[in-house]
Amino acid sequence: MKRYVLMVIALIVTAVYLFPLYWMYITVFKSAAEMFQFPPTFWPQQAESHLRQVFEERNMARFLWNSLLIACGTTGVTLLVGTGAAYALAQVQNRWTSAAIFAVLVLQALPSSLMVTPIFTAFKGLGLLETPRFAVVIAQITKTLPFYIVLCRASFVQVPRELRDAALVDGASPMRAFFGVILPLAVNGILVSAILVFLQSFGEYVYARSLILDDQYQTATVGLSAFVGATKTDWIGIMTYSAIFVTPILIAFMLLQRKIVAGLTAGALK
Amino acid sequence: MNKLLSRFPRENGFEITLAGFALLYLLLFAGLPLLYNIVLSFQQVDLMEPATLLRPFAGLANYRDVFSRPEAGQVLSNTLQFVGLSLLFQVVIGFLLAMLFLQDFPLATFMRGLFLAGWIMPGLVVGVIWKLLFAGDYGVLNHVLTQMGILHSKIFWLSDPQWSLYAVIIANVWLGVPFNMLLLSVGLAAIPADLYEAAELDGANAWQRFWGITLPMMKSTLGAVVSLGAIMTMQQFDLLAALTQGGPANSSQVAQYWSWQLSLQTFEVSAGSAVATLMMVLVLIVAVIYVRSTRNERMV
Amino acid sequence: MNIRISALCATLTLALSSAASLAATLSVWAVDEPDNYTEKMAREFAKLHPDIQLQVRKVGFSSLNDEAMRAVMSGNGPDVIPIDNPNTAMFAAKNALLDLTPYLAKSKVIDVKQIYPGPLKNASWNGKVYAIPRGANTLALYYNEDMFKAAGLDPDKPPQSWDELYADAKKLTNAQKNVYGLAFSAVGDEEGVFQFLPFIQATGADWDKLNDPGAARAAAFWQKLLDEKLASPDTLSHRQSEAAATFINSNAAMDINGPWELMAVEKGAKFKWRVALLPPEKAGGTRASALGEQSHAVLRSAKNPQAAFAFLEYMYSQRNRNWNEFGMLPPSKDTVTKDPKWPQAYKTFNEQMQYARPRGPNPQWPKVSKAISTAVQSVLTHQADPKKAMDQAYKTVEATKH
Repeated sequence: MKRYVLMVIALIVTAVYLFPLYWMYITVFKSAAEMFQFPPTFWPQQAESHLRQVFEERNMARFLWNSLLIACGTTGVTLLVGTGAAYALAQVQNRWTSAAIFAVLVLQALPSSLMVTPIFTAFKGLGLLETPRFAVVIAQITKTLPFYIVLCRASFVQVPRELRDAALVDGASPMRAFFGVILPLAVNGILVSAILVFLQSFGEYVYARSLILDDQYQTATVGLSAFVGATKTDWIGIMTYSAIFVTPILIAFMLLQRKIVAGLTAGALK
Repeated sequence: MNKLLSRFPRENGFEITLAGFALLYLLLFAGLPLLYNIVLSFQQVDLMEPATLLRPFAGLANYRDVFSRPEAGQVLSNTLQFVGLSLLFQVVIGFLLAMLFLQDFPLATFMRGLFLAGWIMPGLVVGVIWKLLFAGDYGVLNHVLTQMGILHSKIFWLSDPQWSLYAVIIANVWLGVPFNMLLLSVGLAAIPADLYEAAELDGANAWQRFWGITLPMMKSTLGAVVSLGAIMTMQQFDLLAALTQGGPANSSQVAQYWSWQLSLQTFEVSAGSAVATLMMVLVLIVAVIYVRSTRNERMV
Repeated sequence: MNIRISALCATLTLALSSAASLAATLSVWAVDEPDNYTEKMAREFAKLHPDIQLQVRKVGFSSLNDEAMRAVMSGNGPDVIPIDNPNTAMFAAKNALLDLTPYLAKSKVIDVKQIYPGPLKNASWNGKVYAIPRGANTLALYYNEDMFKAAGLDPDKPPQSWDELYADAKKLTNAQKNVYGLAFSAVGDEEGVFQFLPFIQATGADWDKLNDPGAARAAAFWQKLLDEKLASPDTLSHRQSEAAATFINSNAAMDINGPWELMAVEKGAKFKWRVALLPPEKAGGTRASALGEQSHAVLRSAKNPQAAFAFLEYMYSQRNRNWNEFGMLPPSKDTVTKDPKWPQAYKTFNEQMQYARPRGPNPQWPKVSKAISTAVQSVLTHQADPKKAMDQAYKTVEATKH
C-alpha cells in the first residue's frame, strides 16, 4: 500500500515538474491566435505545426551537427584530462591538493560572459579562431573540467584507499593500480559526470556565440538566440525550434538514464 | 599511516602528473583571462585600444565608481537573494526528491529519469519557456494559480519589480533541482544500508535516523552540492538574458549580469571588471567552504 | 511587376558601372529579421559578382553593438556591419569605421546631397560620412477600426492629443475580453527609448534636455496609462514586435509601432486597421517621432574596402524596393516608390517622417539610452518620482558630454 501512495506522490511531483516541457510541446501545435488566448488552452484546438519549416528556415541541421561535434569534442578531452586529475585529488589529500581543488574552483569562478573578451583576444593571437569549433572546445573545457573534476573526485573518494594500497603491495605500478583496480570501480561516477558534461556543452551559448564568427560553424543555442533576438518575436517558432533542439537528446538521455540510475541505486560504489 | 605515506611525493608521482596536467590547462586558459580581468579593474580602459596591459592605472577609482552608482545597493541585495534563495530551494527540493526516489515503489527509477529532463535543457531554452509561462496577460502560470484560488489577480511576473527577481529565482531553481537530486542520490546510495538496519534495531525512528545517519554521512556530498550550486548560480547568465535582462529598472539585476551589461552594453569596461572582481571574492568564500567540507570525509 | 523591372534596371546599370573585378571574400553581418534585408541584398550582390566569395553571419538586433565592438577589438571583424543608426557616432568616434567620404566623392551610385538630412546626420560624425542609411523608419499609431466602431469611436477621427489618446484607450479597454486600449514598448533597452523619445519631444524636451519639465510629464503620462491598465503591465517587458503581436491578435486596440510591422499586420490581422499620426501633447501642438532604421558601415579593418563599398552602393541602388518589399521608408529624395502597398499607411508614415528627429549624435549613445530607459522604468514601476528620475537621467547624459 505504502508503495502505491509513494508512487502517486512521485507521479504528481514529476508531472508538476515536467509541466514547462509539456507547455513547450503543446505550444508548438498552437496557432498564434490561440497562443495569446486567456484562459489558455491545455490542448491545441486546431493542431498545426511548422516543424519542417522552422527546421529548414533556421538551418537547424547544420547547427545541430555543430553542437554535436563541439559537445563530443569537449566531453572527450574533459574525460581524458579530468579523470586522472580527479583521481589524484581524491587519492592524495594534503595541503597541496586542497590548494589545487581550491584553484580549480576559483578558476572557473567567473561567468563565461566575462571571460570571453580576454579569451577572444588571446585566441585571435594564437590563430585559434581559424578553427572556430575547436576554439569553442578549448574554451569550454575551462568550464567543464573543474566541474567534472569536482564531480568525479567525489566518486573516487568513495573507493576505499586500501584497494590501491593492496594493489601496490602486490607489485602493481601506480598506473596499473589506477587503470586496473580503481577506474573500474568508479566507472559509474565517471559515466554520470561525463553525461552531465556532454549535456552542459551541448547547451553552451556564450563561447559559441562569441568565438564563432561564421554561421556555417555556429551551434544550435546561438541559432535559437538569434531567433529570439530577431526583430520579430515568433513564440511558436521559438518553441518549435526548442522542441526540435531538445527532443533528440531528451530521448537519448532517457534511454541511457535507466542504466545509470539502475547502477546508482544498486549501490555499485559501496 | 596512510596519511604519512601520501606525503611522499615519490610515492605519488603518477598522481601528481595527472593533476598537474589538468591544472596547467586551467591556469593557461582560465587563469590568465581571470588575471586580465583583475588587472582591467584597476585600470582606465578604452575598449577600442589594442589588447595591451599598459593602460593608465586607476587605483580604486573603478571600485568607488561602482559603489557610488544608485543601483549598487540593490544589485548587492539582489545577488545575495538570488544565490541564497536559489541554493536553499534547490538543495532542499533536491534532497527531498532524492530521498523520495530512493524508496522502493513502482516506476521510481523511470520517474527519476524523467526528472532529469530539466538538466538536459540549455539555460537559454529554459529561459525562453519560462518567459512564456510567466507572461502576465496570457501566461499559463497566472491561469493555474488563479484557478487554484492562490491568486486573485494576475501577477506580471517579469514586469512587476516586486516579483521579477523571484521569477528568475523560480526558473533557476527549476533548472538546478535535477542536478542537486542526482548528486544527492549518488551520495545517499553510497550510505551502507546496514547502518540503517543497526539503527532500526536500536529503536531509532525515521527522524532520528535522518539526523543521526543520513545528514552526517551526506556532509561531503552536501558540501559539493552547495558550493557547486552556488558557483553555477553566480554564473547564471543565459536565464537572465532570456527572462528579464535585469529589469524592470534593475529590480532583478544581479552582479554577473550587471557586470556584463557594463562591459559590453554601455562599454564601461573598467566598472564591469570591478564588479566581476568583486564577484570573484564571493566565489573565493564559497571555494573555502567547499575545500573545508572535503577535509573530514576520510574520517568516516 | 513594376518593382521587378525597376530593380532589374538598377542592377543592370550597376553591373555595367562596376565592371571591374572585385575578386575577394566579402564578409557581411546581417540582422536577423523577418525580411532578412541585408542577407537578401548580399546574396543578390554576390550573384552579380560571381568572383566574390560571400560570408554572411546573422546577428540579433540587440546584440549588434557588443558583437561588433568585440570584432573591432580583435581586428577580426567582418567587412560590412549593420548599425542601428544612433550608434554610428560611437563606432566612428572610436575610429572603428572607414571614412566613406572619399569613396562617396567618386561614387556614381550614391549622391549624398539626395539623402535626407535626418538619416545623413545619423550616419555622420564630425562632418564625415561613416555609414549609408539603408532606409528610414519612424513610429505611428496603428488602430483597429472594428474595435473603434464597437466602442462608439469614429475611425476617421483618431486621437489628436494625449488626452484623447488616453480617453480613447480607456473606452477601448475591455478587461473581460483581455483587450487593452493601447500597446507600446517600454522595454529596458533601445527599443523602449525609441518609443519614449517622441513623447518627450512632443513636450519640447529631448534626450539631452531631460531636465525640461516636459520629460517628467511624458513619463507621468505613460505611468498613468499603465496604472489604469489601459496598456498591459507587461509593456515593461514587451519588445515592439510583442506589442505588435498583441495588436494583431486583437488583444490591444491601438499600437504604437513602425512600418516594419506592416507585413505582419497585414498577414495576421483579421480586422480592418489603419495608421494615424502620433498625437501631440495638446491638440495642434508640436508633433514628434523618432527616426529609426539601420545603416551599413565598412569596418576600417576590412580587407577589401572596394568590394565592401560596392556592396553598400548596391544596397543603396535598390532603395526603390524599400517600401513594398521591406516596409522601409526611403532614405533619399530621389527614391521612387511605384504603386506603394498599404497606401493609407504609406501616406501616414511619410507625413510622420517629417516630424522624425534623429537620436543623438552622441558617441556614448548606449549610456544615454540606458540612463533614459532606467529612468522611464523606475517611473512606470513607481520606484521614483518622474521629476527626480528624469533629473537623474539628465545628469548621466550630461556626464557623457565631458
